[in-house]
Amino acid sequence: MFFDKYIVPVLIILAVAALFAFLLAFLGEKLKVEKDPIIDQIRENLCGANCGGCGYAGCDGFAQALYEGKADINKCNPTSVENKQKIAQLLGKVVEIDEPTVAVVHCNGVNSKIKANYVGYKDCKAAASVGGGRACSTACLGYGSCKSVCTQDAISIVNGVSVIDKTKCGSCGSCINECPYALIGRVPKSAKVYVACSNKCKGKEVIAACQNGCIACGLCEKNCPSGAITLKGNLAQIDYAKCNGCMVCVSKCPKKCIKEL
Amino acid sequence: MGEIFSIIIAAILTDNVVLNQSIGICPFLGVSKKTSSAVGMGLAVTFVIAISSVVCWMLYEFVLAPLAIEYLQTIIFILIIACLVQILDIVLKKFAPTLYNSLGIYLALITTNCAVLGTANAVITNGYNLLYTFIYGTSIGLGFMMALVLMAGIRERQERTIIAKPFRGFAIALVTAGIMALAFMGLAGMFA
Repeated sequence: MFFDKYIVPVLIILAVAALFAFLLAFLGEKLKVEKDPIIDQIRENLCGANCGGCGYAGCDGFAQALYEGKADINKCNPTSVENKQKIAQLLGKVVEIDEPTVAVVHCNGVNSKIKANYVGYKDCKAAASVGGGRACSTACLGYGSCKSVCTQDAISIVNGVSVIDKTKCGSCGSCINECPYALIGRVPKSAKVYVACSNKCKGKEVIAACQNGCIACGLCEKNCPSGAITLKGNLAQIDYAKCNGCMVCVSKCPKKCIKEL
Repeated sequence: MGEIFSIIIAAILTDNVVLNQSIGICPFLGVSKKTSSAVGMGLAVTFVIAISSVVCWMLYEFVLAPLAIEYLQTIIFILIIACLVQILDIVLKKFAPTLYNSLGIYLALITTNCAVLGTANAVITNGYNLLYTFIYGTSIGLGFMMALVLMAGIRERQERTIIAKPFRGFAIALVTAGIMALAFMGLAGMFA
């Protein structure tokens, strides 16, 4: 009785599972589709973050597309430059490899004044759809929509503002698309400074909204020894090709919105 | 012959898997943006439902029922369907690469499609024989494909129309699905 009731069902399930396991193993070996070993080598050289930043379904899809010549190696940000060169060699191509980038949040955030008390869902998009509650119309809301999509665990919310850990960031771009105010952008990995503000309003309005907003005073532009900073749309912009990392702009900015990265 | 005909009509129209039975909704909303991918998904589902319902029927009739362990039905069917999809994946990749590429990612997604498990269960509850099981499975798949292609056609046209802002995207898709289900309810009177 015991045997019939308890052991037989278990044996049946095990038997069916084992049958299918053998069948799968057998078929998998027997009907193996020949694949060019180069694809596997390309795959090994990719970083394996599976972030999807390249637009393909994971690193396997990207390796296949690279092999077929459909994809550009520079679409992958997390893979190191040496590995990209190895892949270019495997493909027998001369590829100009761009400098790797990291994502930064262009906002100081904490010092933006509060306009209204938002009590809804703790989600940036939901908050942004009703105005966000900050006086600045491009303030980081700190509800962590970017944090929730980050596959590398690189984003943390510090004092109500997202901060990206550049050692962990693979620059896949998920957070860039997630931020309702488009505050996140990419800068080269070697960048020394960044503009921590995205407000394109005139100086007076910015002062009314935030203590740390860029008021487009132009001091950074005037003082930059290498001419890397220009004002564009009431906002300082850094040309990283010219920037030598002297930090003059960081000390000159009256609003402390050019920051060390 | 008459019974076979009524099984086919019932499975496709009056007892449509998506619009009447409300199972397999996930791909119905997820893969109905383009007609071409709707056809691919529909073909893949038809293929898997037809084969899996036959295999499940055989296992039920020849193993579970004689041993009086019918309560294992659900768990064994899930096991069979998952393995079967994987086997199909391997076989198609080798012997029909064109079909494999056109089915693409949908084949793997079917593993967890509840329409497949629902059909395997329905076949047992209805007490069909092997031939009826195969016909019912294929017809359910075709009914699924029809619903999916109709939905994709409607959604493609919706893309080009002006829709009030709160209704855009999934909201209007759900409303459309609801109206389609209402329309299909009208067909239920065919056998009454």
